[in-house]
Amino acid sequence: MTISKLLVANRGEIAARVLRTANAHGLATAVLRHASEQEGPAHLIAHEVVTIDGPTPVAAYLDIPQIVEAAKRIGADAVHPGYGFLSENAGFVAALEKAGVTFVGPTSEVIDLMGDKVRARAFVEERGFPVAPSAIEDDDPASFVERARAVGYPLLIKPSAGGGGKGMRVVREDSTLETEIETARREGERYFGDGRLFVERYIERPRHIEVQVMGDGQGNVVHFWERECSIQRRFQKIIEETPSPALTPEQRDKICETAAGIARAVKYRGAGTVEFIYAQDGAFYFLEMNTRLQVEHPVTEMVTGFDLVAEQLRVAAGDGLSAVQADIPQNGNSIELRICAEDATADFRPAIGDILLLDEPQGEGVRVDSGILDGGKVTTDFDPMLSKLIVHGRDRAQAIARARQAVQNYVVLGVTTNTGYLDAILAHPDFASGDISTGFLTEQSETLTAPGEDVSDLLMAAAALSDERLVSEVMQIPEMHRKMGGWRN
Amino acid sequence: MRRIFQIDGEETETWLAHDGACFILNTPDGAIPCQLEAAGAKGGHVLRANGKVRELRLAAGPDATFVHMNGRVHEIRRIDPAERLAGGDSGSSDDRVTAPMPGVVVSIAVKPGDQVNEGQPLLVIESMKLETTLTAPRDGVVAELPFAEGDSFGLKDILAQLVPEEE
Repeated sequence: MTISKLLVANRGEIAARVLRTANAHGLATAVLRHASEQEGPAHLIAHEVVTIDGPTPVAAYLDIPQIVEAAKRIGADAVHPGYGFLSENAGFVAALEKAGVTFVGPTSEVIDLMGDKVRARAFVEERGFPVAPSAIEDDDPASFVERARAVGYPLLIKPSAGGGGKGMRVVREDSTLETEIETARREGERYFGDGRLFVERYIERPRHIEVQVMGDGQGNVVHFWERECSIQRRFQKIIEETPSPALTPEQRDKICETAAGIARAVKYRGAGTVEFIYAQDGAFYFLEMNTRLQVEHPVTEMVTGFDLVAEQLRVAAGDGLSAVQADIPQNGNSIELRICAEDATADFRPAIGDILLLDEPQGEGVRVDSGILDGGKVTTDFDPMLSKLIVHGRDRAQAIARARQAVQNYVVLGVTTNTGYLDAILAHPDFASGDISTGFLTEQSETLTAPGEDVSDLLMAAAALSDERLVSEVMQIPEMHRKMGGWRN
Repeated sequence: MRRIFQIDGEETETWLAHDGACFILNTPDGAIPCQLEAAGAKGGHVLRANGKVRELRLAAGPDATFVHMNGRVHEIRRIDPAERLAGGDSGSSDDRVTAPMPGVVVSIAVKPGDQVNEGQPLLVIESMKLETTLTAPRDGVVAELPFAEGDSFGLKDILAQLVPEEE
């Protein structure tokens, strides 16, 4: 089967990024746009823009019948879902299949399996891959304490019905296990009306390391090495890099081979990511598998030289993988920064506003995957991520230096962004030495948001002299009074 | 000509004058001789102030000026003291409930004319997937609810206004 026309069922930077590759490969391309949505780079790159509607813009992007209908109407023979929205929705895949449109991604069965965290974990564990030791009370309530003890310390007790950290207890000593179980049960009952528990091994200062995989759907799978994504705020990544500074070559091979093995076990088709939690002692455990292209895929492209979207399209067209494992290098270092409209000094509150001036950095080893245009408007309709800044360097030090230089020259005026905060992270000595964990941003929050040098005199002068009304009022005062003019008014 | 500038929440009253050769920005901390010239790329300027020379990128919105300087972006809110006085009859800050963050109105519990007590829920908003209940800042009567259920609003927008109290 060949693909001649591709609909990108997404928006923002990822739609633009997918469209660029599709255009370069000679496909006819189309992208969605909600009626209320600002024009973005994707609308300028696509050959065709398909208007969708819905009560909210997000609802329109989740409207399976409408999007399938749009694909059929414009004669698209394939749909690329990007990330988020319908990218991991088995119902969408099934609806496209029924309509005879190719989904650029895995099968609905694999999406279903990996989307169910409990089933996915059991599947992975049964095949001998590492999962964090755990015990579920419901499996056999009578032996729960015994099984919890076997998990080993430190361990974490969680309410089965829980979420958001409520009712979680860390237990470090066997002597306190039973009283902590009873406390957690009472908290679970209070918060969730459900006292059932489960325990898992507690990983101190963990890292988040994930592996990019690509499969042909026939059981052939290659990996494109790892990405370290430990720099997270609100459980969301904001800086990702590859290679991980934590891994030795042996550990790297082991974690990457494990990921490829998991993908092989499901005869994975297309691009996927296997996420692991990585402990300080080098142990790692399966967390989940994301059955889509990730936000942070560009760092992998920078070090391997592969275009992962081109690989996805190739597999979707039935042409298989373009490379064997030995052909996939890991050259130099790459770092991605997520540029977000948010106030890092106010608990990452999302910001809105008009983009009054946009000037994105360029230069050797610098790539910008942007979802915004100069003069655009940032609203709360979508995710606060505006664009991604990706750099490549021959080593990690050069990558950090290039990232700092580029983010300092990333000029977005009119809406608050996190560029200064990202630069503060890059400048932190613990980031430079690679001594990071998923708790890094919380542990270092004061240092990272400390006010810089006081330049308020310069800022007020700039604001006053660029205030045209103020300046013209001053200049209208007869010259001899101008000096004192302000006093009299 | 007076302006109040607000940087990182801190307000400074200033007035701008011109001594025939150069602008002078008078501040409580002293007079700043200053000059600004457009230069280079879009929004590019050279600022000379207090004996310092800085290249910067600048864009002025309706209420705030944004300055990119030495790799950092700064926001300077501009307040015209005359307008603040003129707008004074719209009430003091404890007459208003302003948006703590941008979001959407989920539900409204009161209507204009309702008598409310301090702490009484007025409306529920959703920001960043979290619902927050906003309550009356004092006892009083609801004057206005500028946003309807389902409307989006921005940071610091007024979501509810109470009838000003008699002095």
